[in-house]
Amino acid sequence: MTENLVLKRIGKVLVYILLVAAALGILLPFYWMVMSSIKTNNEVFTVPIKWWPDIPQWQHYVEIFAKSDMTTWLKNTLLLSVVVTFMQVLTGSFAAYGFSKVRFPGRDVLFLAYIGTIAVPWQSYMIPQFRLLSDMGLANTLWSIIALQAFGAFGVFLMKQFFETIPEDLSEAARLDGLSEYGIYARIMMPLSVPAIASLTLLTFVTTWNDYLGPLIYLRNPDLWTIQLGLRTFVSQYDADYALIMTGAVLSTLPIAIIFLLGQRYFIEGIASTGLKG
Amino acid sequence: MLTTVDTSRPPTRRRGALKLHNTLQGWSFILPNFIGFGILTLVPVIMLFYYSLTEWNAFGKATFVGLENFSRLLGDSSFWTALYNTGYYSVFHIPLTLAAALGLALLLNTGIKGRGFFRTAAFFPYITSIVAIAVVWNQIFSPEYGPINQALRFFGIADLPGWTASAQWSMPAVIIVGVWREMGYYMLLLLAGLQTIPAQLYEAAKVDGASAWQRFRNVTIPGLRPTLFFVTVMLTIGSLKVFDLILVMTNGGPGNSTLVLSQFIYRKGFEENQFGYASSSAVVLFFICLSITLLQYFWNRRQEK
Amino acid sequence: MNRRLIAASAALASLALLVTGCGADTEAPTDTETTAGGTTAAETTPAGDTGSTEPKGELTLAGWSLNTTPEFQTLADGFNATNPEYTVTVSEYQAGNDYDTQMITDLAAGTAPDLYIMKNLVNFYTYAAGEQLVDVSDVAGTLDNESVSAYELDGATYAIPYRQDAWFLYYNIDLFEQAGVEVPDGSWTWDDYAAAATELSEKLEGDTKGAYTHSWQSVIQGFANAQSEGADVLSGEYDHLKPYYERALQMQADGAMEAYGTVTTNSLSYQSQFGTQKAAMLPMGSWYIATLVAQQASGEAEDFAWGIAPAPQFDESTAGTDNTPVTFGDPTGIGINPAIEDEKLDTAKAFLSYVASEEGAKALAGIGITPSVMSPEVTDLFFQLDGIAEDELSRWTFENRTVMPENSVSQHTAEINTLLGELHSAVLSDSEGIDAAIENAENRAKNEILNR
Repeated sequence: MTENLVLKRIGKVLVYILLVAAALGILLPFYWMVMSSIKTNNEVFTVPIKWWPDIPQWQHYVEIFAKSDMTTWLKNTLLLSVVVTFMQVLTGSFAAYGFSKVRFPGRDVLFLAYIGTIAVPWQSYMIPQFRLLSDMGLANTLWSIIALQAFGAFGVFLMKQFFETIPEDLSEAARLDGLSEYGIYARIMMPLSVPAIASLTLLTFVTTWNDYLGPLIYLRNPDLWTIQLGLRTFVSQYDADYALIMTGAVLSTLPIAIIFLLGQRYFIEGIASTGLKG
Repeated sequence: MLTTVDTSRPPTRRRGALKLHNTLQGWSFILPNFIGFGILTLVPVIMLFYYSLTEWNAFGKATFVGLENFSRLLGDSSFWTALYNTGYYSVFHIPLTLAAALGLALLLNTGIKGRGFFRTAAFFPYITSIVAIAVVWNQIFSPEYGPINQALRFFGIADLPGWTASAQWSMPAVIIVGVWREMGYYMLLLLAGLQTIPAQLYEAAKVDGASAWQRFRNVTIPGLRPTLFFVTVMLTIGSLKVFDLILVMTNGGPGNSTLVLSQFIYRKGFEENQFGYASSSAVVLFFICLSITLLQYFWNRRQEK
Repeated sequence: MNRRLIAASAALASLALLVTGCGADTEAPTDTETTAGGTTAAETTPAGDTGSTEPKGELTLAGWSLNTTPEFQTLADGFNATNPEYTVTVSEYQAGNDYDTQMITDLAAGTAPDLYIMKNLVNFYTYAAGEQLVDVSDVAGTLDNESVSAYELDGATYAIPYRQDAWFLYYNIDLFEQAGVEVPDGSWTWDDYAAAATELSEKLEGDTKGAYTHSWQSVIQGFANAQSEGADVLSGEYDHLKPYYERALQMQADGAMEAYGTVTTNSLSYQSQFGTQKAAMLPMGSWYIATLVAQQASGEAEDFAWGIAPAPQFDESTAGTDNTPVTFGDPTGIGINPAIEDEKLDTAKAFLSYVASEEGAKALAGIGITPSVMSPEVTDLFFQLDGIAEDELSRWTFENRTVMPENSVSQHTAEINTLLGELHSAVLSDSEGIDAAIENAENRAKNEILNR
């Protein structure tokens, strides 16, 4: 009996060692990114790899704000990410309710069209889309990115799948209580989908935050640039300022890491308090 | 007031009205999203289908050429290589990522200490700059100086893989990095899905004396099915469309050993200025994705019954 | 918990509405047609000259990475000082391939600037054949500038070069002295170069290599195409590449340079390899002169004596200072967007004449750019850069060269380029033998590209 306990404990310790090792391995590129941000340019790429700079160049973190428009880029990126996330969650979950709980002809075909567009690589319809948005006067404004990202099929698909896990009896009971479909959406479905909403919020936020190709195509005016686009100004035709690029990359990753660390408990605790008992 | 859905069969006249009512109501939910989606995504995608039948340099008028682009694809060895490589990547990337993500989600859904940290760590590859990822992994794979080959050498393996520096091993190397990068992303979705399974079901199964495996098969999997469907579809499409990871890791090389369809499309369009031809290969990719998704859809429907 | 979450999302929502509101305000003025570049020194017209007329408006010019690439602003400033009818302002685009991605979308939607840059001849074809360039044969006719002919398509000229880079051999004099090897004298063939690299690698301490070959296909194919008799990549015959690749493979095997796989997997940069003395020789384009000077001044590159020598030659017939060595490099040019307003066209053409004039060349040479027009005065200005190599051979090399265009202007150029890029990485990574790779490339070129 005690032997069994000891074995169990050893097993547990082993799992932890394994997990910690895996976590460190996973974080290695991030560590390299941080270290490169305090190296000189010619130290970044070497044979063999350098895990620590000769003289840490902390001043890069000051320089980047002086040398570039980092504050503007951060502001634009934050604005876009918040607006896009909010609209994607709102319109996505709303449409998802229509797809999952209301029956009407043509519903499944329409839904398939939604998924279908996910299957088309963006770079292949980028030009027709750009022409369209620029005819509407949206090119070279932040609205273009909002218009582009806020109505994505991703959120609709994700929320629909989660709504389907919620038992139909709950909505039936609510209907008998005289709640309208909109009421069911707002008072039953949304509160019960907290983990899904949390995931969608985070994933949309990260996608918009890290998007490069969208801003590349649509934003020309330097006042409108996002971080990912702005950091590319450290690349010129034949060489690049890698140390500053990595400094910017670290700075742009930090907000997301913090949001995630603070928000991750919702994925596990969200349901515990709302509960499925209704 | 909106009608409540009656379980008893309504008379035919009312059935028509109900259908109309439901349709209007359904559309009222979908419309706010559809206005944006329809104009900004659906219309350009439909235009893409037209362009696939034309010769078009992005600037002037597109000349209609019928199916010429598609017959040209048949004889284009780069296209076939790209198609093969995309299949190669997907066949390994999809199941491996799914297994890793599911394993992580199950492990980090338990009461394990420090799970917040581990979850964050698992998600980190997804938010780390892809350039940094490519650089570090490439250095890890470096045939002469990289830690992997140094370890293999230590164990006395003589015939060392060249990883991203050889045509033979570049694809496995890219697959490893792809799985590593995306498992945290799908873990997150699966974690959210696991939350929707009522704890009572597990307790009831325990009371019935079900083993851990039986609980997994009979409670977890059915409860997770809608999420699993979402994850497999997104993962499949994502793998078939893989682009930026390959671009920064190997840029399709060495030779064309890691050239994938998305990159082929980009090259034909923006580098070689043949947007009609690029569109036709995008259409092929679309139909491949669509047929696999439909298979998954029907399979999922059968399982649900 | 539940209530808190609702409160949180409500707060988020109001924040979002707030910022969208703000966004609308800041965006309104940018909604106009102009793709205005934010940093515009050109707005300020030269003061003092009372006789000057007020400019009527702006001509926009596309440039990239303006912080680190001053050439566009230099050209704009130089031209604006002549008080043209319209002042040239620079709009910022992204560098590298992204520049063309942005430019193609802008041209397709009609939102491109009035004047834009042709980074190389591959993309020039895309724009010229796509009718996105104004015929500027009249400007070309007035210029005495060799590089202009590169921009001809079907008998008309569509862009004007302001810059003409060329590839040279950079060498580290200190490392040559340490190893006791004779520095290049201007008469080298590639075999001399390979022998010197091998000798240097053996005699230098530690991991220092004799040479560094960057991963770009140009480093090998550019020279092979320019120097081999009768070579033409559009012919679908690639046998001329063989000696160049065999030599490179031999050098890799001898440890005379880092292997291709090491270069790509470690993302090695030529600035670091040569600048921190990991390699004694480097074949590279003339743009690196200014970079090296700047990096040595800032301390990013180590302090050592260096020089430039002519690129090694195929054989002795073109080698030596009594010949003109053959090297390669695409010109960089500027073209006019046909969507330009008619009244601006004359000013735009005047700008093109300026960038390819000796006056423009002097302005460029002053900031370390190799201009498209050469003269002893331009060379003097160029070699006034602080910290530049001062020996005779470097000056001679800079002035005396036959520069072959790296790319030919044809609808097949881009595709052939991709094909030969695949050959390059397959051969140097030892994934495919040179003979098999050449045969494969020839078959694919003929069957899938040239005879389509």
